[in-house]
Amino acid sequence: MMRVACLLLFLGLLPGLRSAEADPPAAVGRSAAPPVEELRIADERGDHGPPNPFRHYPRGSGFVRMSWIFDTLIWKDRDGPVPALAQFWNWNKAKTACTFELHPEARWHDGCPLTADDVAFSIDYYRRHPYVWADVSVVRRVEVRDARRVTLHLAHPYAPFLAEIGGSLPILPRHIWEGVDDPLAFAVPEAFVGSGPYRFRDFDEVRGSYLFEAFADYYQGSPRVKRLIYLRSTNPLISLANGQADLAAIRPEMAEPLRRKGLTVIEERGGWVRKLMINHDKFPCSDRRFRQALAYAVDLGGLIAKSQRGFAVPASPGLLAPGHPFYNPSTPVYAHDPGRARALLAELGYRSDTAGVLRREGRALRLELISSSIAVAGGSGGDRDGLILKEQLEAIGIQVELRVLEQAAADQRLARGAFDLALSGQGGIGGDPKILNEMILPGPGGAFNSARFGKNPELVALLDEQLQAVDEDKRRALVFRIQELLAEELPTLPLYYPANLSAYRPEKGIDWYYSKSGLGKGVPIPQNKQALLP
Amino acid sequence: MRGKLWSTLTAYALAAVLLLMLSHALLRLLPGDFVSAHWERGDALLDADQAAALRERFGTEESFSGYLSALARGDWGCSLALEKPVLDLITEALPWTLLLMGSAHLLATALGFIAGMEVAWRRGSPLEKGSVAVMSLLDGVPELVSGLLLLLFFSLRLEWLPASGAQTAYAELAGGAWFADLLRHLALPLLTLVLADLPGNFLLARGSMLLVLDAPYLETAQAKGLPPWRVRYRHGARNALLPLVTRFGLRFSLMVTGALVVETLFAYPGLARLLVEAVGRRDLPLARGIILFSSLAVLVLNLGVELLYRRLDPRVCHGH
Repeated sequence: MMRVACLLLFLGLLPGLRSAEADPPAAVGRSAAPPVEELRIADERGDHGPPNPFRHYPRGSGFVRMSWIFDTLIWKDRDGPVPALAQFWNWNKAKTACTFELHPEARWHDGCPLTADDVAFSIDYYRRHPYVWADVSVVRRVEVRDARRVTLHLAHPYAPFLAEIGGSLPILPRHIWEGVDDPLAFAVPEAFVGSGPYRFRDFDEVRGSYLFEAFADYYQGSPRVKRLIYLRSTNPLISLANGQADLAAIRPEMAEPLRRKGLTVIEERGGWVRKLMINHDKFPCSDRRFRQALAYAVDLGGLIAKSQRGFAVPASPGLLAPGHPFYNPSTPVYAHDPGRARALLAELGYRSDTAGVLRREGRALRLELISSSIAVAGGSGGDRDGLILKEQLEAIGIQVELRVLEQAAADQRLARGAFDLALSGQGGIGGDPKILNEMILPGPGGAFNSARFGKNPELVALLDEQLQAVDEDKRRALVFRIQELLAEELPTLPLYYPANLSAYRPEKGIDWYYSKSGLGKGVPIPQNKQALLP
Repeated sequence: MRGKLWSTLTAYALAAVLLLMLSHALLRLLPGDFVSAHWERGDALLDADQAAALRERFGTEESFSGYLSALARGDWGCSLALEKPVLDLITEALPWTLLLMGSAHLLATALGFIAGMEVAWRRGSPLEKGSVAVMSLLDGVPELVSGLLLLLFFSLRLEWLPASGAQTAYAELAGGAWFADLLRHLALPLLTLVLADLPGNFLLARGSMLLVLDAPYLETAQAKGLPPWRVRYRHGARNALLPLVTRFGLRFSLMVTGALVVETLFAYPGLARLLVEAVGRRDLPLARGIILFSSLAVLVLNLGVELLYRRLDPRVCHGH
């Protein structure tokens, strides 16, 4: 409410701003730009946890803050994977062993050199103390060849290896962590010694601010910004507009006014999806035809127009967005068709009474819909989705009891499976298609809002198989089929991919961008350390 | 008189015990726990064992007697999310809330009192009618609306004042520059609270003063040839002060809840903001500690107001 009011007033005031008509400064080339003394990034939440692998907040925003300090073997730039700690990597023929050659200049913030021993130690340490963003159980053995070369032997071919273990697993300094038995309780300054481009200087959890300082001896060159500061602002838009902040996520409506004010706006779509969870363990949701009827009953265009004011695109029932390298353009879609929806419901024995309410054996079709506010990077949004869906479903005769819950309470209901229908959302869908396994299959490694759907043996088998398909074409074919099956089964109904925007001040000379397929395992946030390197 | 004081103190002590029982029980009724709010809602891949281990680690089951005994030892628990002792967090945040709410209340009370007195003294004048109309209108504007308007005008349009926080993060300022930075950050939340509190104080002070304007002792004071300001403040205002003192005490006791909107809107690092975050994250020990602290503060302040009342109006002590 507060944000919406702020936004409306902001939109009203912005045209009168002093510098509204100023031309945007010319973009500054990365190589020619002078060093920047300080750069401030604003966000609403502020506290994303202490920035180390075991204590950061388990969302993309926490991962990104940690990534300034801790490097991974591989990272991503605008277009995809680039070398990080590993200068080179190569596979054996069977794709069951990958050898990484470390950068010779890589060193820890305390000056110690980073060696293959550190990589081997990290894998072993994460085996004992799992990193919740990457599963190292697939690594059967680590072979240290010399100080710079290390080979990871896998139990079987594993397609997400480079994205998950190469690109998401922070490497730990052995000399610091080898004596630490309880990483969650390890809170001394040494716990923040990494090999990334920035040293950790301060984290004020109460005020939600972080201070990072450039690591002059960074193996890829000293970062261009000397001090990087995160600050909490309930109004990042205003902080951005009045110069308190240099980079912030924004709402789509703000893009044009901010552009007129001289800020650069960047956009990403397809890294986050709003979805309708369907409890397929309870009748009638357990029947595939009912889930399909729901899909036909929902008018995605109307939902997007009202809820997102048009700043979103309808989601594919196969979950992956157009633009994802594994997106199947032939995935069946469900155009809004109330007639088809009613026909499918009739097959299940539902008939309309005189008031238009669907009944079966005399009982009205009544479902509870849980709604909560959730958006990209743990923010909030889509507040009106529940109300709009209720109207659309009631239009075909399904009685909907809308229950709007605070996010933690809603998540608890989802985790327990105590719902009929529930609105939720998830990120990471722009990254490796392993996200399909995490968001569909039951069992370990699933998120709280996973569909936990194991009723289609072909789908389960294909999901398992795609993880081991190291041939990209073969994997693509498998993932294509998975999307078709998902569209048919609809264990959840993906609704829309909202526009995800950020704005920054170009006069700082930093060219921020969203990485293709997101950072790490698919984080759709543009705060990429690669953008600050010389 | 002494017996009455003891019965008052006993009533407050009983209320304190009731508060302790409620603070122990109420938050447990919140749906969700810290592990589900902090970990499972993220992109973490927790298996059942990991979730169970985390629940064991962050579980906050505690008997009431254990809770009381810990409180007595000064152990208010440790925040699950911020990993700091609750009392430390409260004492870190309290000065900001005191600075904001305290200065707002003092300013709004003083301004409301003086303006109310002056306007009542000029009863029937256009100034009185106009100011009553303006203040009545202002009294109906919620803090959220006035705060947003101030924010958008002073922070966004004029770019004079910062939009959030209590200080510029990591600015390394000292002396006068530090103080100026503090004031710049304080200005908008303070003004919002003053605008919210001032009309009530003004209207109350004016109404109260109007009641005493016709009192015979004021005529006597005027007949003695005392200067008008002395008649007004020494004889009139003193007798019109009681309702304002009551209001001051009541408003001050709402220190935490009264600051919820403003501290959230301006990301001011006070107790209210801390409470909102603690509840959102199901940080049970911290939320409980803040609620208990603010509840006890309400009790203590009410008791203080009651004792002050006795001093200002001897009729209260004698039960008239």
